Amino acid sequence: MNNLPDLPTKFDVIVIGAGPSGSAAAYLLAKKGFKVLLIERGRGLGDKNLYGGRVYAPPIREVWPELDKEAPIQRWVTKERISMVQGEKVITFEYKAEKKISFVSYLTQLSQWMSKKAEDAGALFVTEVTIDEIVMKDGKAVGVRSGPDFIEADVVIDAEGVNRLLLERLGIVERLKPDNIALGVKEVLKTGASNIESSFNVGPNEGVAWVIMGDVTKGIPGGGFIYTNKDSISMGLVLHLKHSMNFIENGKFDEHVSKLVEEFRFHPYFRPYWKDAIISEYGAHLTIEGATHFMPSKFAYPGLLIVGDAAGLLLSTGYTFRGVDYAVYSGKLAAEAVEYARNNGGFTYENLETYDKNIRRSFMYNELFKHRGAELLMNNPVMMAKYPSILMRVMEKMFEGEYTQETIYNALMQALKEEKVGPFDLISQAFGMVKSL
Amino acid sequence: MRIVVGMKWVPGTTSVRIDPKTGTLIREGVPSIVNPHDMPAVELALQLKDTYGGEVIALTMSPPPAIRGLEYLIGMGVDRAILVSDRVYAGADTLATSYVLAKAIEKIDKEIGKVDLAIFGQETIDSSTAHIGAQTASWLDWPYIYYAHSVKLIDNNKVLVERVLENAIEDWEVELPAIISTHMKALKPRPVRLINKIRYKVEKPLITWTNNDMKLDPRCTGLKGSPTIVAKTVDVPEVPRKKVVYKPKDGEDAAKWLIKTLMEDEKASKALIKALKEGGAK
Ligand SMILES: Cc1cc2nc3c(=O)[nH]c(=O)nc-3n(C[C@H](O)[C@H](O)[C@H](O)COP(=O)(O)OP(=O)(O)OC[C@H]3O[C@@H](n4cnc5c(N)ncnc54)[C@H](O)[C@@H]3O)c2cc1C
Ligand SMILES: Cc1cc2nc3c(=O)[nH]c(=O)nc-3n(C[C@H](O)[C@H](O)[C@H](O)COP(=O)(O)OP(=O)(O)OC[C@H]3O[C@@H](n4cnc5c(N)ncnc54)[C@H](O)[C@@H]3O)c2cc1C
Repeated sequence: MNNLPDLPTKFDVIVIGAGPSGSAAAYLLAKKGFKVLLIERGRGLGDKNLYGGRVYAPPIREVWPELDKEAPIQRWVTKERISMVQGEKVITFEYKAEKKISFVSYLTQLSQWMSKKAEDAGALFVTEVTIDEIVMKDGKAVGVRSGPDFIEADVVIDAEGVNRLLLERLGIVERLKPDNIALGVKEVLKTGASNIESSFNVGPNEGVAWVIMGDVTKGIPGGGFIYTNKDSISMGLVLHLKHSMNFIENGKFDEHVSKLVEEFRFHPYFRPYWKDAIISEYGAHLTIEGATHFMPSKFAYPGLLIVGDAAGLLLSTGYTFRGVDYAVYSGKLAAEAVEYARNNGGFTYENLETYDKNIRRSFMYNELFKHRGAELLMNNPVMMAKYPSILMRVMEKMFEGEYTQETIYNALMQALKEEKVGPFDLISQAFGMVKSL
Repeated sequence: MRIVVGMKWVPGTTSVRIDPKTGTLIREGVPSIVNPHDMPAVELALQLKDTYGGEVIALTMSPPPAIRGLEYLIGMGVDRAILVSDRVYAGADTLATSYVLAKAIEKIDKEIGKVDLAIFGQETIDSSTAHIGAQTASWLDWPYIYYAHSVKLIDNNKVLVERVLENAIEDWEVELPAIISTHMKALKPRPVRLINKIRYKVEKPLITWTNNDMKLDPRCTGLKGSPTIVAKTVDVPEVPRKKVVYKPKDGEDAAKWLIKTLMEDEKASKALIKALKEGGAK
């Protein structure tokens, strides 16, 4: 029983990482009859609910049209809210959407659903194994190594996610810098489905995605978020690491971040939403910002395609992410390139390079560059503090006059004066903002 | 050598909470793991196979989720695994568990091939009775030795087992077949290998035996076969610690401060006075 004579040690495609990107690629390729090995270092169990989020459905439906019916979806986002907070003053916008475009989900559960899809389609799915190296021969990826085991493949798809140790080892990308990292601190508050539906005024499968700006982060660039799961609310803060460090160095901030989340939780405006809830989970983690400098110089190398977070395909504005859908979509493009190569004479670099071209032509690539300005803006502490402040003063002057109230125009002018911003500055900055958007 | 190794699929206790109302474990959302103390047993079995050849078979009596644990062991290099699982085995105490395991070992011996050794872990992290090895040996009437650190084959049907006790290191010659329980610190387990995981998926070297296969009298298994009665469970509440740190000038200062602080506390002062009286102080 000791020798392993009949075991496959050569596959058409090896996919490293069973996150959304890897599972999508593995699924589509297995369905097309490729011999696929999908390798995941985790246990492939979705026990943690902390990594929850709002996920956009349309790109994922292209791979799994059955998404809406089968996937572990907590609630569809039908209401969008944005709030600005200054002390106890709050301005909130609400948008009630018509279509079901995005949903709230626990990411581990969702990833697990996707990897199960890949396995059911015929991919050989192996968990609890870490790949140590993408093996290169004559400048071409020829397989992977884990401990003493080498497994060969025509194409390796790197779907290792944001940490990218394998790509770093190959010299394709550099180590993460604090400029590109944000700290997320989060709590899951169990409150019950009916509480959520009555306090947010939503239907049984509907929910809210809520972004909060202003004081909740004590002026540190970043923001707060709230979204509704089936019977719990996820809430927390995202803080840009570089700015947090500056704030701490300048003595502008000396509290533990958990304290900030606690203050947010006790804020009189938000607190009623989770009245009587119990904290069922809490934690912190790092996320990526500014993905455009995070991209490798190419998405395809000989024998190697890079997908998902590893490819820097993650749109993050600080408190909303489009990571899962981008990951799935890039997995789809990778699978299509592999299929194209098979049908057009083999897995040459020329053929695989169609993946690189298709990424650059895709909506994702455009979006990432389009939103670069917004990222810069959100990263600017002055802008982040000034505009909510001005708006807040305007509101105050318009509505909180005890006997008299200001016209909008006067309220705005006075507010600008009090905030020491000239009307011209406002216009030019607003213009700059619009341009960068 | 054909070696059977026992595995128990247990809740990862670092994350287990107790329901304050019912006093039972909250298993919801708690990921299970291979009982960590089984790992040295598996490693020992694999090392013996590496040295002497043969086969290692993992055995567990458990509901089907334990398959994940068996997969892990196959990933480490175990050749095949047997899940013994049936509703009539549920609610077993150690006697009923060891009975089923002993019968499974007999069945392996008869149907798969002669079993030379069965190796168990020292104890489990969720029950910690350390009964299973000894009881299984009693059912089978095989010699049993616990706290084993290493095993060497000295002739065809004899092994030399070194075991480490608190105050002694002992060498025992043990006739095969035998049952061994490893010391929890005996050996460091090897990691899972990619090739073994591929083998698991391709060959599915996993057998499930229900009571249709085992044909045991249900009166001897599960809850019915378990004479143990849990009279009462006591939830020991966490003691709130005061978390005071005092930096004394010298020993005398430290003693004075300690006495003073303890005397200020009602409970502590009573205990202190009692202890001093018993020690002969006035
Ligand atoms: C806290 C947090 C919140 C987020 N919220 C949202 C959200 O609300 N909406 C949204 O769309 N996106 C969100 N994202 C982003 C989203 O999770 C990612 O963009 C998405 O998961 C990327 O998918 P992926 O497949 O590229 O990588 P991942 O999902 O990171 O998967 C990579 C996998 O590869 C495995 N792996 C890595 N290295 C190896 C190796 N050497 N060998 C074997 N396996 C390996 C990892 O274990 C992992 O499972 C969030 C991210 C974080 C961290
Ligand atoms: C009255 C009573 C009622 C119980 N009711 C239940 C119940 O309803 N449900 C329940 O899950 N448990 C129940 N248990 C616990 C269960 O009986 C024991 O967990 C089990 O018999 C193993 O004992 P242990 O964990 O103390 O193992 P130990 O004797 O401490 O373990 C020693 C070694 O034996 C091996 N081993 C242990 N268990 C197994 C196994 N199942 N398969 C293969 N190898 C094994 C392992 O190698 C382990 O390292 C009950 C126990 C008692 C006393």
